[in-house]
Amino acid sequence: MARFFRSWEFALAVLLVLELLVLGMINPTFYNLENLLYSTLDFMHILFAALPLTLVIITAGIDISGVSIMGLASITLGLSWVAGVNVFVAAGIALLVGVLAGLFNGVFVAKTDVNPLVVTLGTLFMYAGLAQGLPSLLDLLGFKAYGSEGLAAYQYEGITGLPESFIALTEGTIGIVPYPLILVLLFALVLGLLLHRTRFGRYLYLIGVNPEAARYSGVPIVRALVLAYVLSGFGAALAGVMLTSYMTSARADLGGDALLPIITAVVLGGADILGGSGTILGTLLAGTLLGFLRQGLLAMGVTNDLIQVVVGGLLIAAMAAKQLVARLGERRLNRQALSGRRRG
Amino acid sequence: MRRLLKSREALVALLLALLIVATGLVNPNILKFQSLVEILNASLTLVLITLGEMFVILTRGIDVSVGAATGLAAVILGTTLNLGWPVALAVLAALATGILAGAVNAFGITVLRVPPIIMTLGTLGIYRGLMRIITGGSWIENLPQSIKEPNLWSFLGIPFFVWVTLFVLAATAWITLRYRPARYFYAVGDNEQGAYVLGLPVRATQFLAYTLAGLFAALAAVVYTSQIGFVSMNAADGYELKAIAANVLGGVSLTGGAGTPLGAAVGALFMTAVHSMLIFLGVPGIWDNAFAGVILLLVVYVDYRLRKALELQRRHARILGETGVSDG
Repeated sequence: MARFFRSWEFALAVLLVLELLVLGMINPTFYNLENLLYSTLDFMHILFAALPLTLVIITAGIDISGVSIMGLASITLGLSWVAGVNVFVAAGIALLVGVLAGLFNGVFVAKTDVNPLVVTLGTLFMYAGLAQGLPSLLDLLGFKAYGSEGLAAYQYEGITGLPESFIALTEGTIGIVPYPLILVLLFALVLGLLLHRTRFGRYLYLIGVNPEAARYSGVPIVRALVLAYVLSGFGAALAGVMLTSYMTSARADLGGDALLPIITAVVLGGADILGGSGTILGTLLAGTLLGFLRQGLLAMGVTNDLIQVVVGGLLIAAMAAKQLVARLGERRLNRQALSGRRRG
Repeated sequence: MRRLLKSREALVALLLALLIVATGLVNPNILKFQSLVEILNASLTLVLITLGEMFVILTRGIDVSVGAATGLAAVILGTTLNLGWPVALAVLAALATGILAGAVNAFGITVLRVPPIIMTLGTLGIYRGLMRIITGGSWIENLPQSIKEPNLWSFLGIPFFVWVTLFVLAATAWITLRYRPARYFYAVGDNEQGAYVLGLPVRATQFLAYTLAGLFAALAAVVYTSQIGFVSMNAADGYELKAIAANVLGGVSLTGGAGTPLGAAVGALFMTAVHSMLIFLGVPGIWDNAFAGVILLLVVYVDYRLRKALELQRRHARILGETGVSDG
């Protein structure tokens, strides 16, 4: 138990509570629980994408293509719906596209020695391009029946007029808890169990710490890596679907500016970008902390531009502090070892 | 042939030439001198940013803030020009901005020891935010003619900025190949511990790499502003990722220590030429990103297979040698 109180997650939780107290003092609406819960809708897509990304980063990998998968999932959903598919089936197709996109990333990363940053950089461009081109591609393939200008008309303005039942996905609540928040928590729970309670989870850490050792001890590296990237793709697609419902329109460029907050959430949550450490709880807390910080600053009248500067600075400061603590700890250990030897 | 296959620059340059000729079969206009010059002219901004990024990648780092640094330098250039500063002074201010932006990254990475991707991701947000804070979010327009003028100069039918970029490229190539301390970038990237043990200034080399990336980003900003004639708030947006992709395409290894300025430049030329080729083929511009991504993935995959094949061949040869069986 004492270990928990010294953990990074505990520090994050304390910070989160402090943050809400301070924000509430400045702007009392933050003390209104219903408002507070409702405002999580503004950053739930960050959480959906960041939670499974934690798994990928633990393996010393990275997936920056998630922001493109969001847009791809959104436009897939919209186009399927326009083509006459039930909107929830369309959402299912969008999620499937996310899984396939993640599968491609995962297989490429696991089967070659190409740097994951390069692979997902390539697919970031590829999926974004596909999302942008999809409407006119479908036109080319002969889906001309819908509207006079064809599907390409949807390219820039997005697809609106989605059914109420689908919009209700993000408007609905159980009690005062919005559906997406419940879904985020469920997703976090499943991922947390996978990561911290199964053999698969332990494999991910081992791959991140020492891939050679993992290989020689018979860890199914390819399968574990592919699953991690598939989950990341699925999470990004889920973020895209939820964001489509929240924004009430399906767009190819949805979530394009989410890359910085997503990676910030994972890293601030305690995952080491070089692999081997990180927790789902940490990412969940850090993402929420950042989300509320943004809300609070916006409520105080701080512009979006300045918030970007603050978030960037925060990310750097957190990492610098972490490095400093690590170095001081190392020095203390060295000194202890040295004085121990003198005595002995 | 083996040597040619091993050299990524040659492989990519060959592929580029083939693609342009293939495009020429469909639309011969692309093979006109004027079109080729246009393609070259359109690639300058990315070529310069990519060259700066190369130094960082050589040291096994990464800088995802170079596009934002370009944008910030362009904003400083535009703002100072509209304040009535002479062009030379405004350009110097822009270059200083780039150097400062790079030095901030360098400080965070070498002194505070923040991992490069985290540091530069943070400054990406900071520099982009600063751009809008400085201008209040509006575009910088009505720039004086004096900054747009150089874009119209040409010599032997080739624009001034192409010459400038060629000169910068030649100078960079000459320095990295012939000037001894420039090899430190390779040494540090290939084996940091080894470089340290040899007594090389590891931290200083890394510091210089990020600062150079900032300087080159600012150079790109000057070319960009002169060519476009105004500064929008998403100027050079996404160029950081394109610059990394161009480096990888041109054979600059993300694992550090390998790559040449020429390769980086060819990679950048390739990334932008794709856009021009698609236009000549009558494909809408929205497909740019998809093609760029597919080509990047294809090239790294082919490269992986080639490396594997060579490795196998070498092992095979070694086994034959060890067992005393010679096939000569």
